[in-house]
Amino acid sequence: MTMNFEQFKEKLLMYGADVRCWPKDIRSSALKTLESSPELQKLVEDEKRFEGVLNTRKYEEPSRDLAGRIVAAALPKKKKAQRNFGVFFSDVLSEFSLSRRAFAAVSVSLIFTLIIGFTIGYSNLSGYTSAEQYETHLEDFLNYEGDVL
Amino acid sequence: MNMDTKLLNLDDESLICQVQEGSHEAFATLVDRHSNRFYRMAYRLVSSKDDAEDIVQEAFLKLWDRPNLWKPGKGGKFTTWFYRVVINLCFDHRKKKKLINLPEDIEFSDENSGPDVLYDVHQKQALLERFIHELPERQQLAVNLCFYEGLSNNEAAQIIGVKVKALQSLVMRAKTTLKYNVKQYLGGGSR
Repeated sequence: MTMNFEQFKEKLLMYGADVRCWPKDIRSSALKTLESSPELQKLVEDEKRFEGVLNTRKYEEPSRDLAGRIVAAALPKKKKAQRNFGVFFSDVLSEFSLSRRAFAAVSVSLIFTLIIGFTIGYSNLSGYTSAEQYETHLEDFLNYEGDVL
Repeated sequence: MNMDTKLLNLDDESLICQVQEGSHEAFATLVDRHSNRFYRMAYRLVSSKDDAEDIVQEAFLKLWDRPNLWKPGKGGKFTTWFYRVVINLCFDHRKKKKLINLPEDIEFSDENSGPDVLYDVHQKQALLERFIHELPERQQLAVNLCFYEGLSNNEAAQIIGVKVKALQSLVMRAKTTLKYNVKQYLGGGSR
């Protein structure tokens, strides 16, 4: 199957002057069409010249240390981030090679321990004896004149 | 096999997963592998070495600070996504700067004088840069990604966020305009 002049012109814009680099499915038909048409050959030559002009576009190479600079700039950010509580914990996590699930289990058990601790602590408030009351009881004890065992 | 060699053998997507877990080595491997490629793209869009380097650095530091912005579940390749990050930063930069250092002082030749007018190399390059920057944004991207970066139509289409047919149409329109301008002012190619 060959392609017509307009189809070839369209593909030439789309895929460039090197017909051998066109997609496989149209390459052989394009080469056949090109072979038989001096007009298309002239178009391809024009396209090559145009691409030559495009290739004269100015370009400056990056600094040699670009990658190193980026990597180095990321390091202080990491150190700063370590002051963050969450990041600190995630680092601890990775340090001890705990899985996320294990870490969650440890965290939940710690939270429960805290809750239980607080509950016990507050429940004792009702039986709490102030220092004043304590003194009174001590006085009563000292002034007790009852039987001494 | 040491740690560095292991990292070098990993693909981008595996590296980024390690970056998400805080691996600075994986981050360094990604930067080493891709900084020049993204610099090239940034340079094409902002036409300044210093600005392009700053943009690439900013993009990578964003990735380091917030690696979870990359969602592996969405399918696409890391480079496709990161091209978009860099391109967006470039367009933001251009909006802030308002204009790229385009050669406003260059006088266009009289249209009738044809392509025989001689410019020196610098002026030719500056004019070419100007023609490319005057294209609509998506056409600029299409030319930069397909012609200068040599990406496949499929990947370029994904980066720009259009269908392959639309990408091809962008390339064709961009090249037609450029060809006209190049022939008119620089002499070369045909319409």
